[in-house]
Amino acid sequence: MSVVCEMAAPFVANSAVAQTPVARLFRGHADACLKCQARHAAMARTARELAAMSNETLVAPLDLEWRVMSALEGDLAVARSWRTPIAVTAAVVSMAAAVLIWRLRPRTQA
Amino acid sequence: MDMPQVERDKERELIARAQAGDRAAFGALVREHGNEVYTLARRLVGDPHLAADVAQETLIRAWKALPNFRGDAALSTWLHRITVNTAWTQRKRARRHSGAPLDDYIEVAAPMGADHPEMAGETLELRGRLRQALDSLPEGQRQVVVLKDVYDWSHAEIAEAMGISVSAAKVRLHRARARLARHLEESA
Repeated sequence: MSVVCEMAAPFVANSAVAQTPVARLFRGHADACLKCQARHAAMARTARELAAMSNETLVAPLDLEWRVMSALEGDLAVARSWRTPIAVTAAVVSMAAAVLIWRLRPRTQA
Repeated sequence: MDMPQVERDKERELIARAQAGDRAAFGALVREHGNEVYTLARRLVGDPHLAADVAQETLIRAWKALPNFRGDAALSTWLHRITVNTAWTQRKRARRHSGAPLDDYIEVAAPMGADHPEMAGETLELRGRLRQALDSLPEGQRQVVVLKDVYDWSHAEIAEAMGISVSAAKVRLHRARARLARHLEESA
């Protein structure tokens, strides 16, 4: 395989998938080179296969719906938008309680 | 994907009910689109377990964002966009937790369509090699190929979804296709 073939390869692959002409720099070579033409044909077929994959659907795990709906059940108890304010309030109240307990602690006389 | 008018009306009704908080209606949408979301997730992240997590997270995000869904695009298109964003987030999270490079998650899956005897053996063989080649691509490159060459997204849509410039998306796609071709040649 020639060095030019190697350099042209990415452009040949792209032109086959995008269905555009090969970049001008390599067009002359690609038109005359059997190897590059074979590459172009192989990649055009690959492009068709890639496009055909859009019609294929894989089967999701059977418990996907259950997982989603369970997560939504859990979320309903404490809506996400309320989580941060609740957490901040809880932290502030805890700190205030700790300070109060500290201030009211019984002191021993020296 | 085009769907008959009756189904479209039914889906519109389910969306309206789900937007009003009807979780049973949303469950029906999950059943309708779950496989599709999982398929895209699987193609984007490679690993089936991670893909299941991505699909789950996508559908939860969809439920939360559903009140903002105006129906300008098809529901499936909207779900695809959420799937791409979720896949990207989940992959980053998975990498951070494991400390392993992203490509460690890549597995070689069995050729798809093996249960379709009507497909020619040659096509099946190519499809199998193609899946392996796709899975062997680095994360970012695989995503652009999947979105452009499988799902026919525009460069602008890919750039927006992946948070990169349009030219970066084009360059990435160019490299990805070249790499894909090389991989397929080597495996032939």
